[in-house]
Amino acid sequence: MTVKYQSQKIAQYFYTFAVILFLVQVLVGIIAAIQFIRPDIFILNFNTIRTLHINALVVWLLAGMMGATYYVVPEESETEVWNYPLALFQFWATVVAITLVVLGYIWMGLDPQANKLVLGTQLLNEGREYIEAPRWADGLIVISVLLFLFNMFMTMFKTKKWTGIQGVLLFGLVFLALMYLPGMFYSKNMIKDQFWWWWVIHLWVEGSWEVIAGALLAFMLMKTIGAKREVLEKWMYIEVGLVLFTGILGTGHHYYFIGTPKYWHWIGGFFSSLEPVPLLLMVWDAFRTTREARNVTNKPGLFYTVAHAIFNFVGAGLWGIIHTLPQVNKWTHGTQITTAHGHLAFYGAYVLLVISMIYVTLPSIRGVKDYNPARAYLAFWWMTISMVFIVLTITGAGMVQVYMERLMGLDYVAVKTTYNLWFWILRAIFGVGFLVGVSIFVYDFFKLGREPAKQKA
Amino acid sequence: MSNKAARNLFIFGSLFFFVIFLGLTVDTMNQIDGRAPEVTKEVDAGKMVWQKYDCIGCHTILGNGSYFAPDMTKVVERKPAGYLKQFLMDPRAVKPTAAMPKLGLTSREADDLVAFLTWISKIDTNGWPPKPMLAAAAGVGGKEQTRGQQVYQSQGCSNCHNINGIGGTSGPELTRVGANGKDAAWHVKHLKEPRSVVPNSAMPPYAALSNDDLKSLAAYLVTLK
Ligand code: HEM
Ligand code: HEM
Ligand SMILES: [Fe+2]
Repeated sequence: MTVKYQSQKIAQYFYTFAVILFLVQVLVGIIAAIQFIRPDIFILNFNTIRTLHINALVVWLLAGMMGATYYVVPEESETEVWNYPLALFQFWATVVAITLVVLGYIWMGLDPQANKLVLGTQLLNEGREYIEAPRWADGLIVISVLLFLFNMFMTMFKTKKWTGIQGVLLFGLVFLALMYLPGMFYSKNMIKDQFWWWWVIHLWVEGSWEVIAGALLAFMLMKTIGAKREVLEKWMYIEVGLVLFTGILGTGHHYYFIGTPKYWHWIGGFFSSLEPVPLLLMVWDAFRTTREARNVTNKPGLFYTVAHAIFNFVGAGLWGIIHTLPQVNKWTHGTQITTAHGHLAFYGAYVLLVISMIYVTLPSIRGVKDYNPARAYLAFWWMTISMVFIVLTITGAGMVQVYMERLMGLDYVAVKTTYNLWFWILRAIFGVGFLVGVSIFVYDFFKLGREPAKQKA
Repeated sequence: MSNKAARNLFIFGSLFFFVIFLGLTVDTMNQIDGRAPEVTKEVDAGKMVWQKYDCIGCHTILGNGSYFAPDMTKVVERKPAGYLKQFLMDPRAVKPTAAMPKLGLTSREADDLVAFLTWISKIDTNGWPPKPMLAAAAGVGGKEQTRGQQVYQSQGCSNCHNINGIGGTSGPELTRVGANGKDAAWHVKHLKEPRSVVPNSAMPPYAALSNDDLKSLAAYLVTLK
């Protein structure tokens, strides 16, 4: 098995960048976890480590999705990428820009005074969670994304074979790009700052990214099982439709207590409570299709695809809905409960999504039909079991925190340093387990198709 | 349902909800200015300081941010302004066990930051953060309090100090403060002007209290053994 169009191989560059950043993300995650116990353990303070952790996460997931798109669009349009050198240039330009941003974070971490105001904005770190990247970097990121989208649209225009999957995928990507813009201007008023900030954060993970996930899910089920496009695309439209019907107004679940009017309690509470529905539909979709499976050649690809659907529902849907009503969120807002949800949702929805796309497409990129799946499964169990325990640990810490700090009125610092100490220790231990899983996965990524595949008995 | 119908439902449905969302956004933008005091030059400068030092990398504010350090929404109500400024400039000089590093804020930056945090504390947050339910329940109708205990509560001493685990950790714990050999007279002096007995103390003076209140408070403190 090999790729139909040589230019699809560009995906591999993005995947490589992604898995390396994944490793970095988890390494610094462990440092952050240890800093909960010993704040001074490392030369960089917690805020810099955390910034690196979450920015590496977002960037590698985006790189993975871009790589996946470079693979999917030629396949669906049945033609080569419109301009391969441009794609290559876009890749390297992105790597350079991201490297500069990271160096800036580290510099700022070592010497906060270096984070000067230049033309009214911070030079190295904007000091806004997830979108810490300074304004000049925003500009570079926008250019990179525009080049990427332009290249993909031109590819589609070459043959004009509009398919549902590629249409929804591109729609999701354009929506994603547009939703970066509300984070790119300064508001003097912190309420407005937070209001627009949530457009970026929420309308990414619960809007555009989930739309992209819906399209890629359909693509992967089609590739691994050979399920019928007609049926897959119909359910895909329904799923991503429901994602946006609930998710757009669901943004209101972040507008309960930040200075915005009270009517958001009703709107946010109602619509965000419905957000798990499309995610459940995706699980059903995956199972329904899998039941038709006859002879699946790429078993790990299918395995990760189904796992993605399940953990998307558990992490985003279940761990999301528990704290989404204003009556509950009033007590849990901004506690470890939020972190627990954040971890399981990102892992289930997007980490597993990108890894499944890698397992679904990499064999053909490397030109192999068969490969030894043992490491793929081993990595899955190490990562998933560790992540589940990290999340249970942090959910426990969150329950203790909500009870002692929010209900009983104990001091934040007292709860953190004494009552929750064991939870921090356990999280760090399970974090190392997660690192083992990631290492196996990354090793497998570099080995896949480059060693003789053992024949199955 | 045909694929085409499903596609149209997706496109036009999403558009429909986005338009509603835009409408609500416009309305919210119009209301926001009325839900907080005016943003002065100092508040704006303070916000820049907040961003410059990436405070949100450890703290939450309005409940959003990182969960490594306390929420900043009402911090100015819990800490006296003088204390806050000293702490921001050099945390461990006023609280040796502080996890917060010395970031190098100038005096000017600290003032602006306090202005920003004061502005934040005045936002109408629909009642967030909520008052601790159980502590409130225990405070009323419980056993009768001495005058000293009442003063301790009404002055908000527990914002910084804690007794038997209840209260803040900015100041020293007072659970056994009566066992350290200081008598009531020392306490009165200390309460009136902390720096007269503890050099560089970050505790604000309570000279405005009546003599009676000071004496009752001191009497209460020496009983804590
Ligand atoms: C894949 C989808 C999702 C991802 C990746 C995700 C991730 C996150 C993250 C990282 C945060 C914390 C943001 C911060 O740092 O302040 C958060 C907050 C939140 N999420 Fe999600 N989420 C997803 C879906 C959902 C869904 C479907 C729901 C509701 C059913 C939900 C409900 C919430 C709520 C209520 C908060 C606010 C927590 C608080 O008040 O502190 N999320 N989410
Ligand atoms: C070895 C595994 C990991 C460890 C030890 C770890 C540790 C941490 C720590 C200590 C924080 C700071 C939380 C706070 O502010 O209180 C954090 C934040 C975060 N981590 Fe991880 N992490 C790990 C893996 C991951 C993975 C795999 C993901 C993505 C799936 C992820 C996503 C996030 C996100 C989105 C945040 C910021 C939002 C939040 O705190 O909810 N982490 N992590
Ligand atoms: Fe959300």
